[in-house]
Amino acid sequence: MSETPTPVTPEPAERHKTLIVVLTLITTIITAIVAGLQSDANIRANNANRDSQYYAVLASGELHRSGLQSSYDLNTFAGVVREMQTSLMMQFTALQSEQNTDKLGTALSNISALAAQARADKLKSFSIFYTDPRYAPINADDMPNAEAYVANSNAKANELVEKQNAAADDYHAWSSKADSYVGVLTIMAVAFFLFGLAQALTGRMRLVFAIFGMVILLGASGWAMLILIV
Amino acid sequence: MLKRLNESPRLDIFIAIVIAVVSVTTALAAWRASMVSSAAGDAIRQGLVDAVKKQTAASEDWRKTYEEAGHAQTYAVVLAQVEAFENSNDKAAQDQAKNMRQYLLPNLQLIGDPLTTDEKYLKSDGTYDLERRYADLVASSPDLAALDPEASFKLSDQYSSEQRWLTVGVILLAISLFWLALSQLSMKRSRLVTLAIGVGIYLFGLIWFGLVELIFFSVRGGAL
Repeated sequence: MSETPTPVTPEPAERHKTLIVVLTLITTIITAIVAGLQSDANIRANNANRDSQYYAVLASGELHRSGLQSSYDLNTFAGVVREMQTSLMMQFTALQSEQNTDKLGTALSNISALAAQARADKLKSFSIFYTDPRYAPINADDMPNAEAYVANSNAKANELVEKQNAAADDYHAWSSKADSYVGVLTIMAVAFFLFGLAQALTGRMRLVFAIFGMVILLGASGWAMLILIV
Repeated sequence: MLKRLNESPRLDIFIAIVIAVVSVTTALAAWRASMVSSAAGDAIRQGLVDAVKKQTAASEDWRKTYEEAGHAQTYAVVLAQVEAFENSNDKAAQDQAKNMRQYLLPNLQLIGDPLTTDEKYLKSDGTYDLERRYADLVASSPDLAALDPEASFKLSDQYSSEQRWLTVGVILLAISLFWLALSQLSMKRSRLVTLAIGVGIYLFGLIWFGLVELIFFSVRGGAL
């Protein structure tokens, strides 16, 4: 009569121990990956924050510069208009004086008109509104293209502000991701704790804690995936 | 024989020593990664400080340029008036021009200095080269002109990049520590396998760390 071999069943203290070790190993690897992702997100947030601040400095400097330039350009343009009007007005006055046979008055008005016209002509050569073909009037009686001037003078500052806004948005996005990864890591720590408890316990309670740990691990992994994808 | 080796107290001690060494290495690696992160932060801070200084200097240079441009413009406009008077047939205007040229223009020219006095700023159309004046003002402060925020940001990028790779190294060391701990706890045949895996990952982590340090050390021209 031959004996049939009885199946070897692990002792209660050793049951599911390998499963828990494997789960702990998986948790370690996932935690390591999430720690790496958190570190990367933090670095990206720092760099975006840096870029955002740098562009803010550049934009404020450019606004200051364009403000100074606009002030100079508009003052020059106002000077041109003022001197042209003065010249015209003095020419009218000279005509009136001539009609009134006031020779001295005519001469004085003519001198003033001449002076104002000379000043206006010179100021025109300084004015971007008359020298730059983008803004210069097409016909002699037309006004310069002020809208194009305003758009162009703000273009660089607007471009910098757009970059600054984009960098600030990036900063918020990466900072939020880095914070969320910290949340995942915290939950991973809970999973570690549960697997540690499961390792220490025996029997059914070991399995119960292992299942709790698995649920937590799955939830945390899902959250980490969501952070990574979105 | 394998069983004897597995249960040998000497192996226990050996694994304990390896765990201690790996723990110290991990702590040093984490410290180095933290140091690199700090260096990146310092470079960012330096870059931002330089950017503010440079931008403030640029703003002041532009303000000065336009202030001088206003004075120079006044001189040019009055000069044009004087020339118009001189070319007119009116005796009173000619007399006025003579006095203006003698008493008024020299003072206006001094106020508009250096745009009105230095020929290099005078353009062919009688206006002034403001870009050139601004460039000269920038060049007159070599310390501020030499500030380069972009260079600091580039350095911070290098440190950040190094930090990323060092973090991977720290993770490798942490994984090695886990396998070694597993080996210490186990009494089965797999003990030697887990020990070999742990030591293998540790050595790989060490080589990784060394390579990362070496590459970034040479990229930065020898700076830690």
